[in-house]
Amino acid sequence: MRPGVLTLHGFLGSDKRDLIEILEEDEAEVRRMGTSHRAIADKMAYLRDRGKDGLGEFIDVDPHFEVRVDSVRGGIPSPFGGPGLIPKTNTTVRNTALQREIVYTDINIHLIGEHGFYEGKGSLFRMEPHELVEILEVETEQQQTELPSNR
Amino acid sequence: MFSALMISVGAVTGISALLAVLMVIADATIGNYGEVKITINGDHEYEVKGGKPLLGTLMEQEIFIPSACGGRGSCGLCKVKVKEGAGQFLPTELPWLSDEEKENNIRLSCQLKVKNDMSIEIPEELFNVKEFQAKIAKVRDLTHDIKEVTMELADPPEINMVAGQFVQLRIPEYELTDEPVYRAYSVASNPSDTKHVELEIRLVPNGIATTYVHNYLKEGDDIIFNGPYGDFFLRDTEREIICIAGGSGMAPIKSILLNMAERGIDRRVRYFFGARSKKDLFLVDEMRRLEQELPNFKFIPALSNPEEEDEWEGETGLITDIVASHMETGDNTEAYLCGSPGMIDACVKVLSEKGVPDELIYYDKFG
Repeated sequence: MRPGVLTLHGFLGSDKRDLIEILEEDEAEVRRMGTSHRAIADKMAYLRDRGKDGLGEFIDVDPHFEVRVDSVRGGIPSPFGGPGLIPKTNTTVRNTALQREIVYTDINIHLIGEHGFYEGKGSLFRMEPHELVEILEVETEQQQTELPSNR
Repeated sequence: MFSALMISVGAVTGISALLAVLMVIADATIGNYGEVKITINGDHEYEVKGGKPLLGTLMEQEIFIPSACGGRGSCGLCKVKVKEGAGQFLPTELPWLSDEEKENNIRLSCQLKVKNDMSIEIPEELFNVKEFQAKIAKVRDLTHDIKEVTMELADPPEINMVAGQFVQLRIPEYELTDEPVYRAYSVASNPSDTKHVELEIRLVPNGIATTYVHNYLKEGDDIIFNGPYGDFFLRDTEREIICIAGGSGMAPIKSILLNMAERGIDRRVRYFFGARSKKDLFLVDEMRRLEQELPNFKFIPALSNPEEEDEWEGETGLITDIVASHMETGDNTEAYLCGSPGMIDACVKVLSEKGVPDELIYYDKFG
């Protein structure tokens, strides 16, 4: 997790809390919003997969997103261990209805979906759960049970 | 009470001093591997100080193994065959090595420490790679997120390279990094201009190197880079050429085309360039000039989502669809691709379906 091991800046930023506290507080926030880490990660992955059709340029994704997916050379292993390398893919999502934009990487998708880890505060790649839920319009668990899946 | 406090302070100070002495002794003994010998390709010998990763040790001898991640073990570029003196594979190497590579003693030089005499093999062309000190001669906006950076070489004053190769730019310490990092960029200039190197650098969100280039780098700055690297170059055949690129993938293709024009290479070339809208297109005038110089060259830009004010009359759609519609057959054709992995995968599929053999499709793919 610390700087200089897997990445230049590490995954904890300037956060003074220990890892368990970081995980617990983000978990609590996600629950307060009525959703789950898996739902957030699934929406991130869905928009990334649709964005790949743009072949490196922005592409329209219904209902009102513009998405661009690009990559830089290499991959990163997960700081939680496990096999393989995660590609260094960047997904930029613009919500044109809200006029807001967010950028995330494939390792963000993995860390959130598999470990509920949004990185420490002050980390260059820290994802705020509420921003992800708002900009990507992640469905709440109630919405997921009420509506049929369109994916 | 006071004497108890003083005794405690004295004890803590004494323990700290003892630990410091122990660390100095450990560093001088356990961590000191002394002088070791590295033999490269059987005949180049170097006496080096042991203990550091092979990548950095070779760099100190001015032998530059490609690396796009600054030695963090996250790009897999710095592979080297180690015939003797390597020891066991490290956990940080294993994700990057195939079974065949392991059998052939291929190692990740940024992870492998030099602890004893070693014998290694590297491509001979890496002896041509040098570190260059240069000055930023020009910085120009090509689009809202791509900058063209021209470096004038100072020491050494000239570079010997092939059109299509890349260099590694050294980004100094600044707001986003407290140590220098190296990043790889394809060269866009004609290699016959040995005194300059031109790069096209697209801003990557939160990118350490691209943020520096876009927000801090200015004309007159000193800069360091090393190179040239890579085997993406025009093959010497008579086949027709298809080039496909998007964004800053223009760079190596432009270098190849400029070189072709200078050398009077008259092969049929079609260059498909994909962008979203007109504001993402660049160097169109330069491509049209090249069409005058190379009578068999055709530049075909395609916009996937032109805006109304673009008043676009050119090709519209995804670049893969445009390539498919223009290609009758892949007979007697070779292809050069540069862009995102998704674009390359999609284009390779189209080209293969048209009959271009896999071995004649050349690309520099990330990941």
